[in-house]
Amino acid sequence: MTPLIELKHVYRHFEVNRQRLPVLQDINLSIAANEIVCLVGESGCGKTTTGKILAGLLGPSSGEVLIEGRPRASYTGREAALLRRALQIVHQDPFASINPAHTIGQILGFPLQRHGMVRSRAELRRRIWELLTLVDLTPPGDIVNKFPHQLSGGQRQRVSIARVLTVNPRLIVADEAVSMVDVSIRIGILKMLHRLREQLNLSIVFITHDLALAKYFAWDGRIAVMYLGRIVEIGRTPDVIAHPAHPYTRALLAAVPEADPELTRHKQHLELRSEDIPRLTEIPPGCAFHPRCPFFVPGVCDTRVPPLEPPPDYNQLAACIPLVETGRLIPYTERVNPDGR
Amino acid sequence: MIGFEIGASLAGLVIGIVCGLVPLVFGIRMGQLRAGVLGFLACAGSGFLCGFLGGLPMIVLSTAVVISYAYVNKQDPFTSLLRIEDVNFEETRGEFFLRQMAALGNAARASWQALVRNKAGFLGFCGLVFFILLTTVGPLFVPLETSPQMDRRAPGARTLFQGPSQEYPLGLDWQGRSVLSHIVHGGGALIATAIVAGLIATAIGVVLGSLAALLGGWPDQLLSVLANFILTIPQFPLLLVLASTLSLNSNLALAFLFASLNWPSLMRAVRAQVLSLRERDYIEAAFALDLGLWHIITREVFPNMVSYVAVNLIFSIRAAMYGIVGLVVLGLVPIREPDWGVMIFLGRQQGALFNPNAVSMLLSPILAIALFQLSLVLFSRSLEEIFNPRLRTGL
Repeated sequence: MTPLIELKHVYRHFEVNRQRLPVLQDINLSIAANEIVCLVGESGCGKTTTGKILAGLLGPSSGEVLIEGRPRASYTGREAALLRRALQIVHQDPFASINPAHTIGQILGFPLQRHGMVRSRAELRRRIWELLTLVDLTPPGDIVNKFPHQLSGGQRQRVSIARVLTVNPRLIVADEAVSMVDVSIRIGILKMLHRLREQLNLSIVFITHDLALAKYFAWDGRIAVMYLGRIVEIGRTPDVIAHPAHPYTRALLAAVPEADPELTRHKQHLELRSEDIPRLTEIPPGCAFHPRCPFFVPGVCDTRVPPLEPPPDYNQLAACIPLVETGRLIPYTERVNPDGR
Repeated sequence: MIGFEIGASLAGLVIGIVCGLVPLVFGIRMGQLRAGVLGFLACAGSGFLCGFLGGLPMIVLSTAVVISYAYVNKQDPFTSLLRIEDVNFEETRGEFFLRQMAALGNAARASWQALVRNKAGFLGFCGLVFFILLTTVGPLFVPLETSPQMDRRAPGARTLFQGPSQEYPLGLDWQGRSVLSHIVHGGGALIATAIVAGLIATAIGVVLGSLAALLGGWPDQLLSVLANFILTIPQFPLLLVLASTLSLNSNLALAFLFASLNWPSLMRAVRAQVLSLRERDYIEAAFALDLGLWHIITREVFPNMVSYVAVNLIFSIRAAMYGIVGLVVLGLVPIREPDWGVMIFLGRQQGALFNPNAVSMLLSPILAIALFQLSLVLFSRSLEEIFNPRLRTGL
């Protein structure tokens, strides 16, 4: 089955002060219809740029974006307009992503009217009502004439989801969509996104830095872990969470606090060799993670760029040469100091 | 054109009263008698001041306020608990009209509350109202004295200059004419010219600034270089040269002259604002929703810029006024009485600087100009709040 959207060898760089920042390097990612994919990684790793390329707000510097098997550039005229609407993005900050100058009714009405999706005023009002009910903003009559500043953060995020739904998208990129929302409201919004995915046959790309959230949200989907512009591990969520392959994923998972204090205290902690994230202008040669990697193998990790390959005994793909070639990882400290002294 | 002129007139009063019937009738029909009567008075007043120009907009505004008091939203929380099948989404033209008017009225009321809340801003507003009334209604009550009044010379005095007295509250000028009459008659043209100059400069600044920010690339660089070039020229000496070579016979020409020098600072301010607004998430969302460039400029960017532009408009008016008065005081603009600037110019020429009796003749226009400017600056403080959409509440 052709995937809904596919990134092939996508590179993207930005020019900042005449310096070239390689934000994305060789990203390969395909998203099927009705699938959930989580992009996980620390800030600056290129999650948001990937999301914007998926949503069509940015183009790749090189590489291909295929939509239903066809390059994006081959969509022209009416097709391009429909494509534009099929791929949507929900922003992180619900206080910045909604124009404060319009009422909620207007915000939802603009795209509906612009794209001729309603024929009369009654139909417009009916559709706005439906959309507000769909995102659990009830009673809709309470919301429709309010201004964004009169709503809470969670309500605003629901409004921005409803706004995206006005144009009947196929794919929604949720860029840290709940990280600015109160913790108590997050689950409600995530459940709603799940329900919408089933009701409306959506694909969702969920971008987050919070692995616990990714685990909850994408349990029946896939997780892609990103580090400094590359995907370092990708696979079905239960596989990645239960048996993390790449050292970076292991470190991330080890850092997730558990609700049980006993568990957290006795959880095996994975010590990184360095806390500093390298700058994008000085990405280390070979595997970008090697200066921090607790399983660093000198001569291998700092010379060869690891491809995404299936390691033995794992169901997912990981970009780690020692793991793929030998099937196991030996801590660097043991390697340089085998007696443990 | 009768009616379309600034300045109080009896015909305007009639127009205003006729206009005022609309909110009055709405007020009576909707059981909002107090709001209706207030609307009637507002219409009559603005019609009296500006004829149709004031009366017609005031009909809309005051009627909207009246409706907003009486409006009950059909989709209130109680009815909206219904299931979707039970909600009637049909809306007659009349209901739609009422809803729109109520929203407008609500916005007007919120703006008024914002204005009253800020004390300094409200003081400035009162000052502006005072000066507008002084220069429009005032001439109806204070006749203009143009010819010299030799018979007013005080016994034993060498000049006709006089300090304030009961008969002449602001004293007499060098020809024995009442200073008050010149203050009342001499501000209108000056204020109007400054406002027109400010409006033109703002219009140029907003259009060019938005273009520069949105287009980027070489248009941006070209416009920025041009603006910087004009900004680096010392403005007042350039004005002096221009004013002495051009013949500035009409106020409109004067306004254009000032606008052509004032727009660069405004353009740079607007450019910076648009550059910042352009990067907002909701603009990106609008692009993703394919709402179109025109919609994005007029409905997404501009509403968030209004307060900023309004404040800059005020400062532009202020600068134009100082510039005009400066030119007049230096005698570089054809002398036309009555005018606040001309009063200072002639007073200085006729030796008012050395005559204690002439203090009020010199100080009156200076104070009038200074107070008007102060009112403008104070008012600009609350402008930001008036146009701030965050202070609005829905129906």
